[in-house]
Amino acid sequence: MRQPVQLLMEQYQNNLYAAAFNICQNQMDAEDVVQETFVQYYTSRKEFENEQHIRAWLLRVVINKAKNITRTFWKKNKCSLEDYMETLSFPDTQSRNLFEEVMKLPDKYRIVIHLFYYEDYSIREIAGILKLSESNVKVRLSRGRALLKDSLKEEWEND
Amino acid sequence: MTNHEKYKKAFSALQTSKRSFQEVENMAKLQKRTKIKTAAAVIACCIILGGTGTAYAANVGGIQRTIQLWIHGDQTTATLDFSDDGTYSMEYYDEDGNLKQSDGGGVAINPDGTQRPLTAEELMEEMDSPEVEYEDDGSVWVYYHNQSIEITDKFNEQNICFVKIDDGNKPLYLTVKYHNGYSYSSDKYVEPDEFN
Repeated sequence: MRQPVQLLMEQYQNNLYAAAFNICQNQMDAEDVVQETFVQYYTSRKEFENEQHIRAWLLRVVINKAKNITRTFWKKNKCSLEDYMETLSFPDTQSRNLFEEVMKLPDKYRIVIHLFYYEDYSIREIAGILKLSESNVKVRLSRGRALLKDSLKEEWEND
Repeated sequence: MTNHEKYKKAFSALQTSKRSFQEVENMAKLQKRTKIKTAAAVIACCIILGGTGTAYAANVGGIQRTIQLWIHGDQTTATLDFSDDGTYSMEYYDEDGNLKQSDGGGVAINPDGTQRPLTAEELMEEMDSPEVEYEDDGSVWVYYHNQSIEITDKFNEQNICFVKIDDGNKPLYLTVKYHNGYSYSSDKYVEPDEFN
């Protein structure tokens, strides 16, 4: 099955941006990566099994493209994370603290944490998207949580 | 409030500046034009190679061989037609049962600087070497015999990846420059500045 790219843009633009930002930590790079992902979908003839398959594919592509862009020698890091955070409207101080601490996590824990808590994916699904073993995902999730608990104290539950 | 709810609330602050479908469509058209230009350049290159090939056409005596070949980690039976001009055409069935055709070829440089077409044995040796593939989803894979290794996350800050491939026989040491070629050896990693 295929869905019109316009519809996917409406549905997933912010989700893909959040995933890309989680890796790039840069607004312009993350926005470019999201656009390239939709172009990839638009030009690809790939058939999908269902809507969840499309969503997982889009996330996998955006994550890989974001990793690629952060590796390139020339980065568009014109705006630092701190400066960009000043432009964001957080609902409250706790949310700002959480965002800030997540951004401090090592890359490999950060994206697993994001797919689990933001996209509500299971460990098995995350392993499929990131092409990792389930045990590897479990370890990364557990270490990421521990670091968040350590820094956020009572603002982060034990789960 | 659960951690899931807290996390979503915190990340709700992230909002992309909405891109329009028009922008995506324009970028897709631009990419298509670039691909057509690249294809045109490849065709021009083939014509030149074809011209070189005719020099050897006088002694063409094709050899057909059926061999077991590893393609993307799957072993398959392929029929290859080798020509004396250093080219080959190949047919095989992929994992979905579709007939695939491809061709290729190469030349070797003699010590005196002249070129000669590769022999069938040299071409088969070349086909038996590791492959590095850049997939549509942005991932990077190394294929060698029954091994398929994802190396997307293995590149260092200089965009170099060193990967040891072991198919159970003698290991190979592969050095990959991101989108810029690769080299391998059975002894040690080839230094990135030693190739390309």
